[in-house]
Amino acid sequence: MSDQVNIYKPLRAKVEKVIAESPSIKSFVLLPETEFSFRTGEFIELTINGYGEAPFTPSSSPLEKKKIEVTVMKAGYVTERIHELQKGDVVGIRGPFGRGYPLDRFYGKEIVILGGGCGFAPIRSLLYNLIAEKDKFEKVTLCYGAKTPEDCIYKPFVDELRKVEKFEVLRSVDKADEGWDEKEGVVTVLLDDIQVNIANSVAVVCGPPVMMKFGTFKLLEMGYPEHDIFLSMEKNMSCGLGKCGHCMMGKYYVCKDGPVFTYEEIKDQPDIWK
Amino acid sequence: MNDVLEITRDNWNLFLASLLDEMNIFVPVNNGYSTEYKLFTSDLENVVYNRPIPVTPLKQFFLPVKENVVINKEIHNKKLIIGIPSCDLAGLDLLDEIYLDERFVDSAYKDNRDHTILIGTDCHDIRENCHCTSYGIEPYPESNADATLAAIDGKMIFTVKSDKGSALFDRCRKSFPVEKPGEAMLKQVQQKRKETKDKLAAQNQHLPDYAATGDLIKRSGEDIWIRHSSTCVSCGACATICPTCTCFLLIDRPDFEKVRQVDACQYPGFERIAAGEDPLRKKHVRFRNRYMCKYVWKPETFKSIACTGCGRCIDCCIGNISKNKIFLEMAANS
Repeated sequence: MSDQVNIYKPLRAKVEKVIAESPSIKSFVLLPETEFSFRTGEFIELTINGYGEAPFTPSSSPLEKKKIEVTVMKAGYVTERIHELQKGDVVGIRGPFGRGYPLDRFYGKEIVILGGGCGFAPIRSLLYNLIAEKDKFEKVTLCYGAKTPEDCIYKPFVDELRKVEKFEVLRSVDKADEGWDEKEGVVTVLLDDIQVNIANSVAVVCGPPVMMKFGTFKLLEMGYPEHDIFLSMEKNMSCGLGKCGHCMMGKYYVCKDGPVFTYEEIKDQPDIWK
Repeated sequence: MNDVLEITRDNWNLFLASLLDEMNIFVPVNNGYSTEYKLFTSDLENVVYNRPIPVTPLKQFFLPVKENVVINKEIHNKKLIIGIPSCDLAGLDLLDEIYLDERFVDSAYKDNRDHTILIGTDCHDIRENCHCTSYGIEPYPESNADATLAAIDGKMIFTVKSDKGSALFDRCRKSFPVEKPGEAMLKQVQQKRKETKDKLAAQNQHLPDYAATGDLIKRSGEDIWIRHSSTCVSCGACATICPTCTCFLLIDRPDFEKVRQVDACQYPGFERIAAGEDPLRKKHVRFRNRYMCKYVWKPETFKSIACTGCGRCIDCCIGNISKNKIFLEMAANS
């Protein structure tokens, strides 16, 4: 084949660590055979050799080049196999693909982040980036929701984040238990509690489609302009290159034109919440 | 680069035979019902030129049904494809835009393109669903061909269109008796072109053009899609046989190899994600999706058109669905 890089050929990476985040979610720390760079919000394809691949936005810091971490919810046949991975196993990664978070548009602003379930993964990567550049932002408010307390992921990270100046963390669960001393209810209820200057703020949303939908509507209701709401879309991204067609959302290939879009960009495309 | 030569059909066949050691040559053959590409041999019968659309589109040579896109191919078989209609040549614009996008070049596709010489043909006849001219494509090659060919009265009129075509032209000229076609012959070529255009104009006189079709589709209600998709069996033939449909499935193989396999948005589950969401769950939505893709979304993001009017999707549909009938109905109701 020609001298160009083969866009379909995965880079091999060794599983260094497996972290159980919740009953259905695990994180995998991967050591690629060569350094691997990505910008926050971009995604990779993770290949199980000879079996299949699936798209994930790394949950680790984009400043780390030697390791990459992905957080995976067991949902389909590839993710079930990923959950069986053990330390030392070899996987493939392709990418990074797409358009991530436009940090330059966040500079000087208050950032409100709305995350649900495994949608915390891209957000954690974004938060690492925001922490590293915290002097460039006014304030960061994370509103995170999960079904139950045991479904809340990244507990140690959240504890650390709460100690970082300018960062505030609010959490809710749909169904609380006795030990839960934070909010109960769907994640959007957290937006009622925040103090934010919307005129100088941007909002970031990532989570299951239904949460993205109602989260976006709530932000619009609060007065956020459509161009200041940034959504990380989840579609069937397969090739990652805007060719295979599986992730088309109207005129966009989510893999190439996204996965991060403003609501303004995608509001007229069909079935964005499905 | 518009060198033209005239060669007898017998000598043309001898010329092709002289190339067989170097390349695989595909020519259109009449199988009694339709035309299909077959490997040329000296004794191959029923080779037909100037016929409209072979059953399978040109894309099969560049995007085969299955292709390993990770392994390095050490040997590239050179191909010479002869008798390509202009609709299929025009379809290459979109394929190239997608697969040769300089940010993400598909090497396997590029290799297939680089090692192929394309000889287009004037169509001297039309099929009942041909409608290239409705979408601004002439029934004779204008782009993407290395050379063009018209067979008239036992003579082949060969016109150079690229460097690759020029090299072939020189080889032919050096080894076989060729002539410069006379005025009368060139007039015949033009006359045949005009006749084909007239036939297409008569056949498709009420069919809306490409842009108008996009507008009609955008304005259409759900009802028309539910009604017309009622006989669709989601077989995907319309997409797999289309010269501009390019979707594929990436299949994993051992040793981290991947196979690119032709896919179609008409198959259930095409856009389904692991968590279960599926924007194209309903059949009529999948059905409409293909039309939106070709006439509304692709024109918004690509320079190339996504339907070349070949009519294969109508020919192949076992549900007897005709997109042209749908568009005529939309136009009549607009």
